[in-house]
Amino acid sequence: MTSFRIDGGTLIDRDDVREFTFNGERLRGFGGDTVASALLANGRQLVGRSFKYHRPRGILTAGAAEPNALLTIGRDGRRDPNTRATMAELFDGLEARSQNCWPNVDFDIGAMNGLLGPLLGAGFYYKTFMWPAAFWEKVYEPLIRKAAGLGRASYDPDPGSYEKCWAHCDVLVIGAGPAGLAAALTAGRAGARVIIADEGAQLGGGMLAEGGMIGNKPADAVLADMVGELHALPNVEVKKRTTVFGAYDDQVFAAVEQVQKHLSDAAINPDRAMERLWRIVAKQVILATGAEERPIVFGGNDRPGVMTAGAMRTYLNAFGVAPGKQVALFANNNQAYQTAMDLEARGIEVAAIIDPRKCPDIDYGGKARLIAGAMVRDTAGRKAIKSIAVRHDDGRDEMIAVDALAVSGGYSPIVHLACHRGARPVWSDEHVGFMPPENCDGMVPAGAVAGKAGIASCFVAGATAAVSVLNALGLNAAPAGLPDTQTADDIAQGTVAIWSVPSSKGKAFVDYQNDVTAGDINLAMREGYDHVELAKRYTTNGMATDQGKTSNVNAIGILAQNKGVSPGAIGTTTFRPFYTPVSFGALVGASKGFEFQPVRKSPLHGWAERNGAKFVETGLWYRSSWFPKDGETFWRDSVDREVMNVRENVGICDVSTLGKIEIFGADAAEFLNRVYCNAFLKLPVGKARYGIMLREDGLVYDDGTTSCLAENHYFMTTTTALAAGVLTHLEFCAQVLWPDLDVRLASATDQWAQMAIAGPRARDVLAKIIDDDISNDAFPFLAARDVSMFGGRLTGRLFRISFSGELAYEIAVPAGYGESVADAIMVAGKEFDIAPYGTEALGVMRIEKGHVTHAEINGTVTPADLGMGRMVSAKKDDFIGRVMNMREGLVDPMRPALVGIKPKSLADKFATGSHILKIGDEVSLANDQGYVTSMCYSPNLGHAIGLALVKGGPERYGEEVVIWNGLAGTSITGILCNPAFVDPENEKLHA
Amino acid sequence: MSSLVKCPHCGLRPREEFTIRGEVPTPRPAAGADESVWFDHVYLRDNPRGQHREYWHHSGGCRRWLVLDRNTVTHETGDVVDASTLKSEGRA
Amino acid sequence: MRDFPLNNVSPFATMPDGQAHGAIHIAPVRTGFVFHVLGQATGTIDQTRQQQLQKMMDAIAPDLGGELRVLSPGQWFWVGENDVSQGRFGEIAGQLPGEFALSDQTHGRVRLRVTGARVCDVLAKGVMIDLDEGIFGVGQSAMTQIGHIGAMVTRLDRDSFEITVLRSFADSLWHELHHMAAEFNGPHS
Repeated sequence: MTSFRIDGGTLIDRDDVREFTFNGERLRGFGGDTVASALLANGRQLVGRSFKYHRPRGILTAGAAEPNALLTIGRDGRRDPNTRATMAELFDGLEARSQNCWPNVDFDIGAMNGLLGPLLGAGFYYKTFMWPAAFWEKVYEPLIRKAAGLGRASYDPDPGSYEKCWAHCDVLVIGAGPAGLAAALTAGRAGARVIIADEGAQLGGGMLAEGGMIGNKPADAVLADMVGELHALPNVEVKKRTTVFGAYDDQVFAAVEQVQKHLSDAAINPDRAMERLWRIVAKQVILATGAEERPIVFGGNDRPGVMTAGAMRTYLNAFGVAPGKQVALFANNNQAYQTAMDLEARGIEVAAIIDPRKCPDIDYGGKARLIAGAMVRDTAGRKAIKSIAVRHDDGRDEMIAVDALAVSGGYSPIVHLACHRGARPVWSDEHVGFMPPENCDGMVPAGAVAGKAGIASCFVAGATAAVSVLNALGLNAAPAGLPDTQTADDIAQGTVAIWSVPSSKGKAFVDYQNDVTAGDINLAMREGYDHVELAKRYTTNGMATDQGKTSNVNAIGILAQNKGVSPGAIGTTTFRPFYTPVSFGALVGASKGFEFQPVRKSPLHGWAERNGAKFVETGLWYRSSWFPKDGETFWRDSVDREVMNVRENVGICDVSTLGKIEIFGADAAEFLNRVYCNAFLKLPVGKARYGIMLREDGLVYDDGTTSCLAENHYFMTTTTALAAGVLTHLEFCAQVLWPDLDVRLASATDQWAQMAIAGPRARDVLAKIIDDDISNDAFPFLAARDVSMFGGRLTGRLFRISFSGELAYEIAVPAGYGESVADAIMVAGKEFDIAPYGTEALGVMRIEKGHVTHAEINGTVTPADLGMGRMVSAKKDDFIGRVMNMREGLVDPMRPALVGIKPKSLADKFATGSHILKIGDEVSLANDQGYVTSMCYSPNLGHAIGLALVKGGPERYGEEVVIWNGLAGTSITGILCNPAFVDPENEKLHA
Repeated sequence: MSSLVKCPHCGLRPREEFTIRGEVPTPRPAAGADESVWFDHVYLRDNPRGQHREYWHHSGGCRRWLVLDRNTVTHETGDVVDASTLKSEGRA
Repeated sequence: MRDFPLNNVSPFATMPDGQAHGAIHIAPVRTGFVFHVLGQATGTIDQTRQQQLQKMMDAIAPDLGGELRVLSPGQWFWVGENDVSQGRFGEIAGQLPGEFALSDQTHGRVRLRVTGARVCDVLAKGVMIDLDEGIFGVGQSAMTQIGHIGAMVTRLDRDSFEITVLRSFADSLWHELHHMAAEFNGPHS
């Protein structure tokens, strides 16, 4: 194919030749090209197939709104489907492929759908795939997915990294066209902290398409001066390739920055993010997002070679690409005539300018033939445009041979960000477009987004907007001395609305990406879906990845025209973030793989690792779950051994993850008395007490022990799971409910390494490292106090408490010394056969002992349900949950209550979650007696045991029941019993 | 929903630093109050369209409980005060 | 067992100090103390109270030095570079009037320093607060989050910050900071 590259092109560097492939074919472009400009330069007008009809499609725009030219770029993990060729920068080695076509873009079998057109109209999905229901999954859906669908995501992991950042500024300028640049310069020179962000690879926006002079200087030189000054200002942060895609409450804006996606594999720095998600906190915001040129809806308007006039001008001036050799312009406004002028200036023949306005108020000085009052009604050409059919004012038709057609149907201000928080844009007859809402949520629109046309007027608008926001910040400022434009070029666009060409022949597309035609919108109206939101959903207009940037206003215009009202009366659909597609990578940021969430490590983590622990994630914590020894291949081999060793000798377990809260203050005891349901006022110094906390609705919240270390100083432990929750709850009680109490709370979880030493030899072990007397008399059950260790070299906090039911202590030492102390205990315990045990063994022993955890404290139980009803103080006036705990339903004797459960046939097993039924009862909700909350294999008893919440509870000890497992489809006979399977008399505890 | 919250102690902070407890209910009744008064406190919520008062905990910052005036329609945030002030006004 | 060697293990102990020559230097603080000072509950941050507290500290423990970093109304971290024994802590806690309680957090809150010309760009990847020097000046502290990890950020100098974090998160934060700094430190930069 011949090259369409001509002289000029302010953005490209002809010394930087870049090779790329398109559908496997090797092509060349230059540094500065987009994939779109490089394809056009290589004469590739056909780049893809459409979504529904598989029609040949080309490149419609030169920017973010592109609905047609969506390609899959890259390979393996770096494969990005649905990438807009107009935004993708060309790099060496880039691989691009067309989508929606099989076997290839030139010969696509799916194009047969074009013949089925009548069946594929608006509401096609709702009408067609109705029955039989079984066809949905097996036939319809796979077919639709194969035929429709855009590019396919890669199954390979993305090797790139992503990150999220915060940024702060006085003035955020969104868009770096002439208005944005003038605003940023004005604010920057005034000393404000400025961020200017633009989605383009280069700043300039509309100025980049300007081929001529601004004042007496070339446009690109003027732009270079402005950009150079911005870069030189230390208080201005310039963010290129950064799309501000969402406006959120409190002036927080989200933006995505392409950091390295535009680079070749060789140029990528693996230590740098591929994309960066910015959250920008701005005091003031200038919206300089420009305007989107609208296509015109006419027959065959999707043929490759049809392009918006502004895009054609960009390719010509910025990229040095000729759109064709014989070009026509179809436009309803004056601004578009600049494209014809520039084409002619570059020696490209403009065959005709077709203007639907009968007497366009413009003095076109070029050679092109001007056909006023006429419209293009059809195009011809198989894979690219060959000719256009023009309907003259007098009804006469004329064919004109062209190989490209520039189209301009007016300009739609890019108001999205001003509307993300719910404001609605306002229709303007003067501008023939929806303008930013009057109250833009603190944003000041400037330039084309506010209806300005022409560089000079946008300069002024940007500078003026900046002065107003600077004043609001309390800064005195004058508009920046701006480049001399010599003439005020506030172009009267003179746009005359033309929503669709009435004489259109063939399909006239409104939404290119979703293949929605004017006919579809008319059909939707006839079928009653004429509300803008309904028409959108019925036709899918504006619902593709381009979110209708080129189609929504035309669709609204067609609805308005047909109903005989103003587009303002139709209104727009709702604008929501994101403005353009954002990769999942950017949204996820660094939170993937190992960094998915932080890991909390116990101060004994290293000790546990050295002792061979297997870890389990509990919340963010990594806890040691068991410690396999040589020859143990199955987890329960280790767990059974660990349990038996504790019951017979002694074990050591890391309990550092339990929540620890230090409580100070003159009213600390009173405070504890109010947050626990049992009495705490008279807890003596040196003693620990088990406590139950209720929620205000009377159900159990958490349990744990609290020790009195000194007058007005307590030490509370909570379960690992609720450590944060309990602290938050206590803070609420202290700060909100009882701010008059003197109570102060400090989280101390991380300060202490805490170990449980349990088993008949626990005291013997500890006596070797603790200097103080810890005999049963000197340190009885529930004693709690500081002890001297290692000959006075260390002070620890010792608690005589037991979760396992054995003689047990918990010793807390400053976290940094945890590993040494654990090592010392292992050495001291060697003669007693000490072994570490993990959370699994801990779980077995607490079930054997009938102790509850959050498997039982599941938000539905009262203390009485857990067999601890007598702990609830009847004497205290007030504590959290007191009144609601006495509600009728919570004191019903038939409530499910804690029991033990074991199989009648001891070899039988059962599962947690199994339900309990009376023998002989049918399986039904009405017959449900309760459920198993915990179960384990008890190595002490030699069979499975469990805890359950069963109606009537302890009244039913000895009763035979059915343990029904609906998931596994099994039932066994069980016996309800006392939950304390081991040492029900607590003899071991007090030994 | 607010993106930023002006903590009276820490200044402007992102929503992610806060934990929302929900609407400020009727004050916690006195110990001897009627059960129905307790029911209202524990369960009754207005869930208004418009101005809404909520408990927010600055869990990722100063760990103070705050009361935030928020408009559920416009998402505008008004006063943010330390929740300890409510008790003396009989509102907690 | 009286002679059993007792080592104070840093949660950063196994971390190589591999970027000593990097543009961003991340280094653990291995000495010193962090005391959590808890005053009577109050709904506002009170400067006068802090000055009173400072006077008491100077009187009780002039040897300790260090500074107060505001945590919340009535609460501070008293942070210093000298090592303090458990016994000495007990004495100091005992001498403070009941108006102020003291909780030793030296082991629970560990510190590291991040230094370098681009340090603000590194921290902005996780910290929301505005680190502009005119707003968050030398000596200022803020309890905030670095990504998902709660931390106190203190500006020591224009290009130097101290980060105080719960010990259990230290390992994760260390890795995250290195990740955040990689583009300035990595072999590819």
